[in-house]
Amino acid sequence: MYRYDAIDREFVADRAAEFRGQVARRLAGELTEDQFKPLRLMNGLYLQLHAYMLRVAIPYGSMDSRQLRRLAHIARTYDKGYGHFTTRQNLQLNWIKLGDTPDILDQLAEVDLHAIQTSGNCIRNVTADPYAGATAEEIDDPRVWSEVIRQWSTLHPEFSFLPRKFKFAVTASAKDRTAARVHDIGLVLRRSRDGALGFEVIVGGGQGRTPYVGPTIREHLPVGSLLSYLQAILRVYNRHGRRDNIYKARIKILVAALGKEEFARQVEEEWSKIDSAPADLPDTELARIRGAFTPLAFDSLPARSETFEAAKAASPALARFARNNVKPHKKPGYAIVEISLKAHHATPGDASAEQMETVADLAERYSLDDVRATHEQNLVLPHVKLDDLPAVHGALEAAGLATPNIGLISDIIACPGLDYCALANARAIPIAQAIAQRFEDADRAELIGELKIKISGCINACGHHHVGNIGILGVDKKGEEFYQLSLGGSGQEDASLAQILGPGMSADKVPDAIEALVDTYLSARTGQERFLDTVRRLGMAPFKEAVYADAH
Amino acid sequence: MKALTANRLIDGEVVFWKAGAWIERFADAQFFADDDAAGAAAVETAKGQPTVIVDPYLIDVVESGGGWAPVSYRERLRALGPTNEPTHGKQAEGGASVEAIRAAAGAARSTGRVDLIRRK
Repeated sequence: MYRYDAIDREFVADRAAEFRGQVARRLAGELTEDQFKPLRLMNGLYLQLHAYMLRVAIPYGSMDSRQLRRLAHIARTYDKGYGHFTTRQNLQLNWIKLGDTPDILDQLAEVDLHAIQTSGNCIRNVTADPYAGATAEEIDDPRVWSEVIRQWSTLHPEFSFLPRKFKFAVTASAKDRTAARVHDIGLVLRRSRDGALGFEVIVGGGQGRTPYVGPTIREHLPVGSLLSYLQAILRVYNRHGRRDNIYKARIKILVAALGKEEFARQVEEEWSKIDSAPADLPDTELARIRGAFTPLAFDSLPARSETFEAAKAASPALARFARNNVKPHKKPGYAIVEISLKAHHATPGDASAEQMETVADLAERYSLDDVRATHEQNLVLPHVKLDDLPAVHGALEAAGLATPNIGLISDIIACPGLDYCALANARAIPIAQAIAQRFEDADRAELIGELKIKISGCINACGHHHVGNIGILGVDKKGEEFYQLSLGGSGQEDASLAQILGPGMSADKVPDAIEALVDTYLSARTGQERFLDTVRRLGMAPFKEAVYADAH
Repeated sequence: MKALTANRLIDGEVVFWKAGAWIERFADAQFFADDDAAGAAAVETAKGQPTVIVDPYLIDVVESGGGWAPVSYRERLRALGPTNEPTHGKQAEGGASVEAIRAAAGAARSTGRVDLIRRK
């Protein structure tokens, strides 16, 4: 993984020191709250309902054991012993004190972590494929390009005061695990027919109040031109993006207003004016960054592990875990292990300090010291030997981390909602828990198969409800929490926006409604159809009928 | 009735106004009659304390289960803590006053908060 050099370290340490000074001036009354707020936001610090919340960047979702242990230490020392992994691969700490924040930033800087640009109208932490460097599907390592974008965009003077926040996703696999098509810019690495590496450039996707699946404005951008092309896109946005209305300021609104062709034309025109030599990354620097992600020292192993096969045969729990949480690795004898943070009674995405330490220990011992956070709020051990899977599973089980439900109905995305968030209109966590508990039967969950439920506590859609197979949006209806269901969304390579099913309902009605949707699917599906496929084939009508039948 | 609330600057803790001081328990908060000018006067005093608290505003409170509770569920969550972690936040101390807030039914928007957003 990427290692900070002396310049990176000095920069992050300086930044922490700068924030210490800003906090001191705020506490002394030399800065007003209005002056201080943008400064704290640029360092990831929000004021939420019960306390401050610090959003720590986990660059492209990748950590080593030392970093994860430090996050656990911070959660235990400065918070209430837990953290919340988010839909953008960050970690949020819910109970932070302003007065402690400078010390926390110092602690983060010591392990090459920070909270820079996890908020504010700037380029945010880059989302990348959590299977990077481990999956056979990828044609290049997306972490290389994510790190390039991180370095380029950090405190970029021209792009630090954009009309609105700006989010990138980078993937190099046909199977999209980053929700690239609903980001401001999604970059999908592809090879052209002649074998040249390039990016499919998707611009103007997003969720929130006005959701869009982003259009592709360039099918194949040579990788060497990445930064100059991004500069051109950001310049067109910075020049024409609306600043008069916060709800119309994202690039998706500009792309939709101009149309894909006209937006692409303006980008190409802007790009033609940019001198590539200073704008694009020198080959030497790219080689330096790429060198940080050189293939790891994998052992040569047989593709089949008799140890693992025997353990699976003896343990139905391990066999179930293997079916749902273990994914193929590019190297024979290795596997990618997904760690579910969706135990049925737990808060989606939450991990205790002890659980973080368990995962850190497992990463160090069994996964080449590598851990990933996924945008679906789970963790990944990307490089586990098949021989070690029984031991890893046992340790996860002991820590309450072996829930075998990846991609299944109880693997629910939920934002913090009104339990924590100052913007929320309704709670999201209890809805997720109620649904997960309703579908706790593991056999039934496997029978239902892939079904992605995503819950947001407000229209800002941090819980990705627009791209849920079943999306749930919490609304404030005359002062009561109400929930609006939608169907047919996907954040993957087959991205689509969910359509509203019908009138909202109170929280206690939601599990029954999900049950009705699932029953309708199970009775109508053909062959290997996923829930999403059945919804796409049949349309909304039978599902709407099932949920609202009693209301007639 | 109304109560005055804010978040404390140094740690973000939810605080309530009581006779010129900021206290942490909703049950100890000072209540103002809806037409009592003292409520608005307390808001003005609070605004003059930018190094102590952030975003002061009045909330509506009602009688509930023998005690008092904020009218809006958002404010009840602020007075209690997150529902997914019942041992975290103010609710951890338990007791009759916490139960009174938990028992409060019916809900309304946090009018004070809406006014605050509008002002911005």
